[in-house]
Order: sequence, then structure tokens, then C-alpha cells
Amino acid sequence: MKAKWTWFLLAPPLALALVFFVVPVVYLFWVSLHAASSSELYGAALTLRNYADVLGDSFYLGIVRRTLGVAAVILGLCLVVGYPVAYFVALLPPRRRMLALLVLLFPLMVSNVVRAYGWVALLERRGVVNTTLRDLGIIDAPLDLLYTTSAVVVALMTILLPYMVISIANTLAALDRRYEEAAQALGAGPVRTFLHVTLPLSTPGIASGTLLVFLLTLSAYVTITLLGGPRSKLLVSLIYDNVTAFQWPRAAALAFVLLALALAFTGLLLALLRPGRVQGAGR
Amino acid sequence: MSATRSGGSVLRGVATVVAFTLIVVPIAMVVVAAFSPKDFFQFPPPGFSLRWFVEFFRLDNMRGAFALSVELALASATIATMLGTLAALFLARRGGTVAALLQSLFLAPLVFPTIILGVALLLLYKTIGMPVLPGLLLAHCVVGLPYGFRTVLASAQALDPALEEAGESLGAGPLRTFFLVTLPLIWPGVLSGWLFAFIVSFGELNTALFLTGPGVTTLPIEIFSYLQFQGSQLVIAAASTVQIALIVMLVAVIERVVGIARITRAR
Repeated sequence: MKAKWTWFLLAPPLALALVFFVVPVVYLFWVSLHAASSSELYGAALTLRNYADVLGDSFYLGIVRRTLGVAAVILGLCLVVGYPVAYFVALLPPRRRMLALLVLLFPLMVSNVVRAYGWVALLERRGVVNTTLRDLGIIDAPLDLLYTTSAVVVALMTILLPYMVISIANTLAALDRRYEEAAQALGAGPVRTFLHVTLPLSTPGIASGTLLVFLLTLSAYVTITLLGGPRSKLLVSLIYDNVTAFQWPRAAALAFVLLALALAFTGLLLALLRPGRVQGAGR
Repeated sequence: MSATRSGGSVLRGVATVVAFTLIVVPIAMVVVAAFSPKDFFQFPPPGFSLRWFVEFFRLDNMRGAFALSVELALASATIATMLGTLAALFLARRGGTVAALLQSLFLAPLVFPTIILGVALLLLYKTIGMPVLPGLLLAHCVVGLPYGFRTVLASAQALDPALEEAGESLGAGPLRTFFLVTLPLIWPGVLSGWLFAFIVSFGELNTALFLTGPGVTTLPIEIFSYLQFQGSQLVIAAASTVQIALIVMLVAVIERVVGIARITRAR
């Protein structure tokens, strides 16, 4: 194709990505550097006050810590449960593996609000778990399962688990089985083979699964709100609250604290796991 | 087989059963609840009724939100896939830093926290006075762009350039070559990109949360606000089941047209 007209191909998608993705995010950062204003969206004076307020306030720091804590627990559970499941799925014969992956993929296509509602219906006071326990005579009064941090953890963990399983399973399924056979032929037991051969070779899948789960946990406003209620707020809830209170500079600063957490985690993960060093890494 | 090995496979089996149960049960529960004849959900269900679906389509808000979600998904998937295809055709045969940067830019909305995009767009729209509906549509286009781009890029890179060259050397202009040679060959990529973009738009929450307005609400946001302000009533289960049913239909279409193998590797 001739070079002179192919640049026209690029213009429309580039315009969309720049005007409605790059520009608004840069503008949001610009607003985060301004003082609040009661009449305008943001005040005229440039200031770092919003960041200083957020990072110097024990309330905000507590929420940031809770957000990281909840994300760490969800991530840990997804890894501990997801890895064996991925291993199981990867060892299935191709047709059944496709079917298992499809069953995992389908829930990801259903809106998260629907999946969160499923957990609300299970956990609420007149929900399935409480009525079943009462019918079985295990409890007398309904338990307050909903609007707790545990409810957020359980629901988000199961909502995001398929990402982890699919990422790891695809890597494991593409893995050359001869590496494991070679290790065993050289006298390594199953545990040693797993720790020194299989696990390191699956780091690309672990890295992408971990990244997806962490990043999606950070912005899961709807799930956090429906299952956590007003008492289990996380960083993303504060962003929303500040937007609805028209505190634009504060909301913008909180958004960039969240983005900084996401970037720091991504950088840390890539530095620690170095998924790129695995040669011929599968998808 | 040694003891640790079979112990490992038992562990894997148990973990798989637990995981699939936890993933599937909440969704299955919603579908079962939607057909309940009673006011509240009971398990096992006491009977079968379509009253909540009737209620869903009787409520103006719900019906309107459903219609808007479908229209928005149709429009944004089409725009996102067209733009994604243009970007993919441009980048398919290019290397170098600029091409790598552009590729990251088009894929970035996949990993970028969409909640931040939502706030950022709302602020921009407030500043420039953007009306609600086009603003929402453009947001969905940005979120859908990576899906259209990625699947078409994979198809376009697998394409043998000799076929396009043959088309051009036989006297076809660039447009003719595109429609008669390139497009039929990358069609599966274009179609699966479109379906993914549709699905993503249809369930989108994090930008719509900020960008919907009075009278302009999508189905997921309507479900969310109903749950927040009116509690969990079974009309929500019906609304959710409508959402799920549409996704099932689309997955069936993907399966028939492009095949399961392609979807499971697409994410």
C-alpha cells in the first residue's frame, strides 16, 4: 500500500484515542493541581494541596491501606484457588479444555452488576444462605452477611477468578511438557519439578492474571458499593463520593492516587516476576 | 504414580469444583429467581412464572434502559470495530518505536482503570458542554476500541501480503483490494472484535456510572440504582436475566461463526 494514503487510516482511531482518552486524563491531572472553587469546576490557583490533604490525612490513608489490604487478600485467594484450577483445566483434553474455558469466559461477559446482584441475593438477610441455614436449624436469627468487607472480598474474588484461571491455564496448556519430563528423568520429584520448572515457566500467566485481578479490584465501584455498603468503602468509593459532592480537584487527586497505586503495582510485578524472561512464552 | 502426585490431582479436582461452583452459582441463582411466582426469592423455587419479566417490560425506566443499552452497544461496537480495523490495518505491517507506542495506546483502555476514564470524561464533558448521549456513546467507543483493534490486528498479521499484492498487481485499486481481498480474509477477526465490543459495551459500568443522566440510563446502571435505592426486588432478577440471555445469544453466534477456540484465546 502507498505510504501517503495509509496515514489517513490512522487518523480516525488516533483522534478518538487522543481526544477522548489521553486529553481527558491529562485534563483530570491538571484539575487535580488546582484549588477547589464554589462557583467554577476548579479554582484558579495552582496547588499541590489536594495531594497533601489526601496523603497527610489519616482517614484517607486508612482507606488507601484498606484498599490495598482488600486487594491483597483477593489476589492471594485468586492465586491459591486459581492456580490448581488452571492446572486442572490445562491438563484436560483439548475439546473439554475449550468447554471449561468457555464456562469460565462466559461469566466475564455478564455485567458485573448482575454478578454482584447474585451475591446480594445469596447473602442478604432474607437471602438464600440465611434462609437455608434457618431451615436447617443452624441459626435462629439471620446473620448480617451483607455490607461487610468479607462480602466484598468473596464476591470480587469469585467475579475476578476467571481472569486468573484463564491467564494461567493458557500459559500452562502452551507449556512444553518435555521440560517437566526432563526434570523428572533427571531425578526431581513432583514437588521439586513443580517449584523449579512448572511454576517459573508459568510466570507470564501468573503476571497477566495478577495484573488483571489487581487493576479490576481497584475500580470495582459497583461491586464494592452493593456488597460493602456505606461502612466498607474503598478508594474508588471516595472518588465517586467526591464527584457527587462536586469536589472536582479532590476527586481528581484521588483518581491519580489510585492510578499511582496501579502503576506502582504493575512496575513492581513486572520487576519481580519478569514474565518476559520466559522464552517462547505462550499466551 | 507417587502419593504426592495423586494428592496433587485430588487438590486440583476439589479446587476446580469449588471454583466453578462459586463462579456459576450466583449467576444461576439470578436466573432461577427471575422465574419466581412469589414476591421474594425462595429456594427451591415454589413454582414458575413470567410475572417479573412482564413487570420488567412494563416499567418505563427498565424498558428504556434496555433499549438504550442495545442501541448504544450496536453503535459503539460498530464505530469501535471500524476504527480498530483502520488502526490494525495501519499497524499490521509496521515495526519500530512509533508503531509500538501506537499499539499500546490503542490497547491501553483494556488495563487503564475505567473508573478514572469515567471521571476524566465527565469533567471534560462538563467543561466543553457535551450533551449526555453522544458523550456516553464516545466513552463506550473508547472502551470498545481495544477489542476491535486486537482481534483484527491478529487476523491482519496472519494475512499473506502476497494476496493483497496480487490484487493490486491485477489492477485493483486500494479500496477494491480492501473489499475484495483483505476484508473477506480478516472478516472473522472483524466479527469477533465487533461481538466483544458489543458485549463490553452492553455490560459497561465504570464510565456509564458517571456519564448517564436523567432519562439516559443504560441497563446495568438502571439495575445498580434500583438495587441501591429500591432494594433487591425480583424485577432486578428479570432484568439481569434479560442481560444474561442476550449474552448467551451472542456467545452462540460467536461459536457458530468464529468457533470456540478463537474466543477462549481472545482474552
